[in-house]
Amino acid sequence: MSTRVLTDFDLVLPGSLSEALDILAQNGSAVTVVAGGTDILVAMKAGFKADMVMSLTALPDLDYLDYDASSGLRIGANASIAQVVDSADVERHYPALWQAAKIFATPQLRNTATVVGNLLRGSPAGDCCAAVAALGGSLTMASAGSTRELDIDDLWVAYGTTARADNELAVELKIPAPAAGRVSAFKRLTRVNEDLAKLNVAVSLQMDGSTCSDVRLAMGCVAPTMIRLPSAEAVLEGSELNSETLEKAAAAVQEDISPIDDQRSTAEYRRGVAGVYLKRAVEQACSIA
Amino acid sequence: MQRARRWQWQRIEGIQMSEFKTIGKNEQRVDIRSKVLGTAVYAADVNLPDMLHGKVVRCYEHAHARVVSLDLSAAAAVPGVVKVLGPKDVTSKAFNKSVIDLMASESTAQMLGDIEEQHIFTDHVKFYGDGIAGIIATSEEAAEQAAALVAVEYEPLPVYLTPEASAAPDAVQFTDQKPGNLAFSLPDGMFPGGQLGWGEVDQAFEGADLVIEDTFYTPKQKQCQMEPNSYVALYDDEGRLNCWMSSQMPKLVHEKLARLFEMPMSQVKVTQTVVGGGFGARLGMVMEPEVCAMALAVPGRPVKLQQPREEDWLTSPSRHPSRYWMKLGFKKDGTPAACDARSTNFKGGYYLDGSALASTTGFWLQGMYRFDTLRYKGDSYFTNQPVCGAFRGYGNPQTNFVLEQMIDRGCAELNIDPLEWRKKWHKQVGDMSWLNATPYTSCALDECLDQGAEAIGWAEKRAKYASQTGTKRRGIGVSVGNHTSGAFPMILEQTTCTVRLNEDASATVLVACSEIGQGSHTTLRQIAAETLGLPLDDVRLDAGDSDANGFDIGAHASRTLYVGGTAVMKACEDAREQLFARAAKLLQTSIDELDIDENKQIFVKDSPDRFVSAAKICRDGSFNFANPQTGELEGEPGQIQAYVSYKPDNNSPPFFSTFVEVEVDTETGEVDVLELVSSHDIGRAIHPAICEGQMEGGAQQGLGMALMEEIYFDDNGHVTNNSFTDYKMLGASDMPKMTNILVENPDPYGPFGAKSVGEAGLVTPVGATANAIFQATGIQFTQGPITPEKILQAIKEKGLSYT
Repeated sequence: MSTRVLTDFDLVLPGSLSEALDILAQNGSAVTVVAGGTDILVAMKAGFKADMVMSLTALPDLDYLDYDASSGLRIGANASIAQVVDSADVERHYPALWQAAKIFATPQLRNTATVVGNLLRGSPAGDCCAAVAALGGSLTMASAGSTRELDIDDLWVAYGTTARADNELAVELKIPAPAAGRVSAFKRLTRVNEDLAKLNVAVSLQMDGSTCSDVRLAMGCVAPTMIRLPSAEAVLEGSELNSETLEKAAAAVQEDISPIDDQRSTAEYRRGVAGVYLKRAVEQACSIA
Repeated sequence: MQRARRWQWQRIEGIQMSEFKTIGKNEQRVDIRSKVLGTAVYAADVNLPDMLHGKVVRCYEHAHARVVSLDLSAAAAVPGVVKVLGPKDVTSKAFNKSVIDLMASESTAQMLGDIEEQHIFTDHVKFYGDGIAGIIATSEEAAEQAAALVAVEYEPLPVYLTPEASAAPDAVQFTDQKPGNLAFSLPDGMFPGGQLGWGEVDQAFEGADLVIEDTFYTPKQKQCQMEPNSYVALYDDEGRLNCWMSSQMPKLVHEKLARLFEMPMSQVKVTQTVVGGGFGARLGMVMEPEVCAMALAVPGRPVKLQQPREEDWLTSPSRHPSRYWMKLGFKKDGTPAACDARSTNFKGGYYLDGSALASTTGFWLQGMYRFDTLRYKGDSYFTNQPVCGAFRGYGNPQTNFVLEQMIDRGCAELNIDPLEWRKKWHKQVGDMSWLNATPYTSCALDECLDQGAEAIGWAEKRAKYASQTGTKRRGIGVSVGNHTSGAFPMILEQTTCTVRLNEDASATVLVACSEIGQGSHTTLRQIAAETLGLPLDDVRLDAGDSDANGFDIGAHASRTLYVGGTAVMKACEDAREQLFARAAKLLQTSIDELDIDENKQIFVKDSPDRFVSAAKICRDGSFNFANPQTGELEGEPGQIQAYVSYKPDNNSPPFFSTFVEVEVDTETGEVDVLELVSSHDIGRAIHPAICEGQMEGGAQQGLGMALMEEIYFDDNGHVTNNSFTDYKMLGASDMPKMTNILVENPDPYGPFGAKSVGEAGLVTPVGATANAIFQATGIQFTQGPITPEKILQAIKEKGLSYT
């Protein structure tokens, strides 16, 4: 039930990265970090209470999205989903991410929500989460006095929970430059077009002729977190991509997922379409390549 | 948008079509600027000095419980709280929030068994979110904080989520007025044998070549009107109770509030603000009793009551979920020999319009086809669910989902084209209409079907999709329906209208008809301007003020244009006649010889140089009617005013059809609606764009009911999707390519030949979509809505494969 009561909280607007990191160092878990705010504000309307809200709006220079052919893609913490959609580089080199961003939520939310925020929310349904999990990459986690690279595979630890330490700020997402022959795609199922996914899937494969390697498959809404699909990946890794191997991979997905019933769909349905959607995503990735 | 018209050059109400100045034109809506600019004042926008805020304390712990103890002391101590109200602090009078009991005659309501069993705050919680107490505070926040501190001890009761559960002999009784929790069944006194229909049904089945039967379920769908219900109430210093609200039925709410609080109606003033959508969700009272009870507790201070969407969801009525059994018997040649049906409705926690839905569901059934014999029984049982009431279509979409699928099943078995079957067997002019009391007055359904079939390419697609391969399967379906234009004589339709010509011969039309977004004030104004012969800009409608406006039953049963429009037309005819009578005197001619031009000059038709301005006649009537020296009359004194209290003689049902084409992904169960064509026999389109808007909006809700919309409950009766995050409707980008066809075949009773279009648009998309899915997959889905989950499950269970 929505609430009309907005409880008291401190709003802090650091003007520099070091100031932000100091605030995190001093206040730790009391801080709720807000970039686009599209999740937090909704949560607050539903009763989520924060002691201190640190908004990144005033942080300079974090709204970049840069692509370099050798070092790859860098997305700053304040870069919006809409910036991804507007990027011809992302469209060309990271189809999975571009496709996810293109149909992400609604135009208003795409203008406000951030890619990094979507990852840090830790929802198993995040569309950008699926894309980034498939593409691979890392988050630069800054804290006062130190910085570390957190592999995307290590980010989500439980439903709504990430490996971010209380004193850390995710400042940048890096996705490596794709080698020649790298293909990727994103697909999802929703109840209506502008909706949260009831199942989403992203794939990224290195194609050498019809042989695939370095296979990364990610699926959402089928486990407490966004997950990779190790069994299906193992089927495809190093194999000839044909209808037979695809069928095998689609069947193997069942071992990787543990869906539940919720408002958006049922466990049975998710099991029923998971393989189909994986197959279609791989086909989509290869058809674009 | 394609629009086809069938002009019939005939005289209607003395005006020839070719002479129309504004009827049939897409005039600018009277409310469009303020709505687009955001300046329209909805009830939530009403803010008065010293205004307080009310909050209803609701039970979210249980869907069925007794309140054992209620302690409001902690709530009362919250800073800003002005008053806390328990059940004993407000009137103990029982009431019924619905207004259906006022709409039929008293003897009918008695025979139907309408009851009053609701209280402002209850000690018997009957659904998740039922109201148990009230808080009045200086801010919404304080009121909410106080509500959270109300200490309640409950005695949980068994939760009944189906008619079978609440009908069990040992079940807790919802009210002692309805034994066995049977809220309603067709009363013997009105419907002999407790049933509708005709003929020897059982005998007819024996002679039938094909008998099919099945049990369906239609979902609990929410209207999702844009504006949540909001109110301001003030018991003022003069002892008058004022309420600003957005009911569809302001005059009936006026009466109900006066009765509940035992005040003369003249001491209760109801102001209808701009209404942000109705669809039946405000057909009657929603939170008016609560907010007025709060206002009476704090005399002299206005109280605002508004609820977040999730709460509005639970406290305003939805569509009745229905379990609907049907058995049909056909002869080999398709002759519909017998129809036997029963709908059992989930009533929710309170009675409201308990008598109406189970009846109308059957009315629509008996009104559609020429069955040799027909029998329908209908009932409703209380359930521990949020209340059910009116929703656009009022049982018609339910019947459409069931009947139209059963017809297609029969046609498939008999190898008959479902379009041809419908053309052959639908009722026609002269056949008894839905109430089985008055005959149909006009019907252009064949024209609708022909034009619709051509627009969507029925014959080619139907044949093509009969044999297809691949995992994606297409199908095309058709459905027909009819509805009503007002509900006379079942409901005592009436509208009063006063027309006043101002001193410059502009006109003010006082009428209480509700503008709920459907465009009625625009179309009523067109009727007034056309009839008076005045430019549109010279005519203004004044509605929504219970002091100024006379009786109008309210916006229900698609009746506003049909009944209200005729009332406006008749009052305007009278005013025009008075005006022309004065002109005739001055011009020394007779009324019949006169006409009025676009500059409001009344002239003699045969010699246009003889004229007098309407403005002069009106001005002279007020300012210039006597010689000040002699007192001799120089003109005719008195302002021209006309008044009618109009009741219709019929309900001129509109007929309509919808064709839907879908593509079903048999690997995922997803349904892509490719195209929808609706054609409506609307009599006359007063404002074609508004008609099309009704059809498109109706299709959005009809597709939603067929494909996705349903309120969910967990085992405890808690609603789990009372928000737009969890309950989905089709958005703009989800809508298919749509074609609206308006077939104009003027009805002898409707104003300018018009019939209704308000509810109709929702009805046939429901059955047509189900039938399209049937052709695509070979499966009929009896449990609505037809979600991808159900489709995939059915494919799996039936072991079907599509390659």
